[in-house]
Amino acid sequence: MALSRREFFKQFGAPGVLGLSSTFFPAWMPKMAFAPPGSSGAHDVLVVVFLRGGMDGLNAVVPYGEGGLYYDRRPTIAIAEPGRSDYSAIDLNGFFGLHPALRPLKEIYDESMLNVIHAVGIVNGSRSHFDAMEVMERGIDNKMTPTGWITRHLTSASWQNDSPFRAIGMGAMVPSSLRGTVSALSLRSIADFHLQGREDQLTQVQRTLSGLYTLDAAGEAMAASASSVFETMSFLQELAAEGYTPDRNANYPEDEFGMGLRQIAQFIKREVGLEVACVDMGGWDTHDEQGGAEGAMASLLDNFARGLHAFYNDLHDYMGRVTVVTMSEFGRTTAENASRGTDHGRASVMFVMGAGATGGLHADWRGLHAEALDEGDLQVTMDYRDVLSEILIKRVGNPDVAQIFPDHRYTDHNLIRSV
Amino acid sequence: MTLTRRDLFKATGAAGAALAVGWHFHAASPARAAADDPLYHVLQRATWGVRPADLERIRQMGAQAWIDWQLDYESIPDPLVDEFISARRPLRADIDSLSELAERDYGAVITNFLWGRIYRAIYSERQLYERMVEFWTDHFNVPAPDYLAQRVVEDREVIRKHALGKFRDLLFASATSPAMLDYLDQAVSSKEHPNENYAREIMELHTLGVDGGYTQADVVALARALTGWTLTNNSRHFRYVHEMHDTAEKTLLGVTMPAGRGSEDGLQAIDILARHPSTARFIARKLSRRFISDQPPQSIIESTAQVFLSTDGDLRAVMRHLLTSAEFMASAGQKFRRPLEYMVAMARVLSPALQVTSLDPFYYYLEALGHLPYHWFPPNGYPDVADAWITTNGMLHRWNAALEMAHAGDGMFIGGAMNLDALIPPVATVGELVDAVSERLLGMTLNGEARDRLIQFVIRTGNPQQPVDARLRDNYLPGLVGLVLASPYFQWS
Repeated sequence: MALSRREFFKQFGAPGVLGLSSTFFPAWMPKMAFAPPGSSGAHDVLVVVFLRGGMDGLNAVVPYGEGGLYYDRRPTIAIAEPGRSDYSAIDLNGFFGLHPALRPLKEIYDESMLNVIHAVGIVNGSRSHFDAMEVMERGIDNKMTPTGWITRHLTSASWQNDSPFRAIGMGAMVPSSLRGTVSALSLRSIADFHLQGREDQLTQVQRTLSGLYTLDAAGEAMAASASSVFETMSFLQELAAEGYTPDRNANYPEDEFGMGLRQIAQFIKREVGLEVACVDMGGWDTHDEQGGAEGAMASLLDNFARGLHAFYNDLHDYMGRVTVVTMSEFGRTTAENASRGTDHGRASVMFVMGAGATGGLHADWRGLHAEALDEGDLQVTMDYRDVLSEILIKRVGNPDVAQIFPDHRYTDHNLIRSV
Repeated sequence: MTLTRRDLFKATGAAGAALAVGWHFHAASPARAAADDPLYHVLQRATWGVRPADLERIRQMGAQAWIDWQLDYESIPDPLVDEFISARRPLRADIDSLSELAERDYGAVITNFLWGRIYRAIYSERQLYERMVEFWTDHFNVPAPDYLAQRVVEDREVIRKHALGKFRDLLFASATSPAMLDYLDQAVSSKEHPNENYAREIMELHTLGVDGGYTQADVVALARALTGWTLTNNSRHFRYVHEMHDTAEKTLLGVTMPAGRGSEDGLQAIDILARHPSTARFIARKLSRRFISDQPPQSIIESTAQVFLSTDGDLRAVMRHLLTSAEFMASAGQKFRRPLEYMVAMARVLSPALQVTSLDPFYYYLEALGHLPYHWFPPNGYPDVADAWITTNGMLHRWNAALEMAHAGDGMFIGGAMNLDALIPPVATVGELVDAVSERLLGMTLNGEARDRLIQFVIRTGNPQQPVDARLRDNYLPGLVGLVLASPYFQWS
């Protein structure tokens, strides 16, 4: 009986919310140690979106101004120049245009709350997914580094915050960027963080476990992490029970990405001490049948844009203290392959959304002629760490980027406004 | 009247209890209660989890004979594993057919590879060998996804072949393994562009250790000595290409390698590294950390290093020394079980009542716990100290894995079925039930508040004399088993 993980969850995973009252917990258990609002200074909550698989930046943000250098290489998947039809690119600056599925982002762009950054990525990066993702999430070229860049940010920040919700990864695993000494929480969903077992016994199971873990024999480290589990569980059960209605009728897509953003919005509004949240979106490894204005990649872009747009609307009153940044391990080949897809390339696109964005399109664009390419593909002309550094310094309040990105010298590209 | 170690290891029968007199168990171990039977302790560390049959066997043989028997692993019949492997082509295929298979069906190869790791940990009779395989898998870490076919072959031809052999042979096999050479960029290192990645890691991680007394000049010299150690064009086989080799003179760790040589530069470098005193100390420290405690006493590191040096890196001799040392015997309850060991140990203590038939729940939990085999991307291997693993998420997933597995009889565990009556025979009272479960799963009974809490779980009044009827047993035995496995006592070994 080989169940997929999804089926597995359907069948066994979600026995409903328990709705335990907090009075159930023993007196020794400290109250939720939420950071008081503003304890990290007047700094932004950072939301990091990782597009896994290598997003094709050339079809997401189309350099239609390159003419034949773009269109001739992509006979079946190219996006038409702006103005031809609803399936054409949406013009940004007379040279670049957004993929039509990214239309929801245009509104944010027009409000100067969105930066579109092109030809960005890992300088000297690998074309292996695993290598490139690991390097990007560690923020450091040396594979030996056991910590991720976000962890180094949190440990080097000048403030402390004991909230179990300080750093959250939405998904099964703690993302590599959050690996290290900070105990990051990874959540599939708010409703999923609970004990397994016979439903009618869960209260007793929980009571017994919390009893066993407070005995001397458990040791301090175990007692502390057990108590953190119970606090977190209790708080998440409360959150799940009270439900959530996004503001301004924001309508999140129903996929994991949309649901991840929706729950991050909920955490932000509840002031739980969240400083960094990570959410993933997969499926970008479009080796075959990538599609153009419609098709496989278009539907990914559609979910991506609708998710960000819903988040933007939902958090409208909070966007002054939230910065969203998106990244992907690499872009894709300039030329379409024989399967009407694209293979692993070099530079891709990053987006930055929030009041901190200076707005507009940013790129050190060298063009698509052969000499400007890196082994045939879009050259990385901006290091992704420049983007992250500016955000950390100007919005998140951590100037220590030399420690966060030790083998990178940061250049200010004026992408971000200071708080 | 203290017993010597020799006495202990001669002992047979129910020696465990009697011998506790002579053994000082560490009082400040992280989980302060550990079974006080030294034979149980040997099994906790030298196997992946204690089955009743293991306990019976070590009691018959005595610890020393049991350890020798396990070290001589080739002579231990392993029918379940043989059958498992012979039924799975990806675990037997040669590099060419494996490469094609991995290209065509990555999922089939990786799931067989993972299932093979977990199945052998649970069911192999060669338990100490399997623990050593785990140790070297971390030591010579190469993640599987990018070089899957080569990595599967490496497990067979490098790690498994030499896990209890000579360290020098293991190091050489690793240094000619396509997965490793690809992973750490040795394959592209040439005299024009020597790549220092592998040269640095082989010294820092595989042999001398970061404080092992080498310099950047040694890294460069080693990188040059190894130029030409590369792969065939299809990356499937090792080959030496003389045109890529730097033939000029080099000095590595004070040894001069004359100009004009070929692959013997690299061979000599391997020998120098394998037999270096820093290597002996580094391997001794890591083995002690794995098998004794996160901060092993300096004395055991030194004595183990001595054995390593005097036996030319004979890993059987090294392990025999380590597992029969006083430092080892004094370390019960000091190692936090890493997620893989935790999952496997549960499956083993519950066997044969529990029959594990599927990888799925292991895959699910190990991914969630961040310990999926062959998926650690930096070259240093999964962390081996408790601090790295005690996290909020980690605890919840561990508890849930325990509770799910314990409810296998209710169909709550998709990895297999369980017959709880085979696990815990009928008993008369709730107190006896709690004692039977703790004895069976922890090798000891609990007392005081821990016992009271478990009794209260079964019967609200907390009366240990309460008779256990069928209804009470059916209702609460699975939960009780889950709680004992989820308790602090089972987290440490």
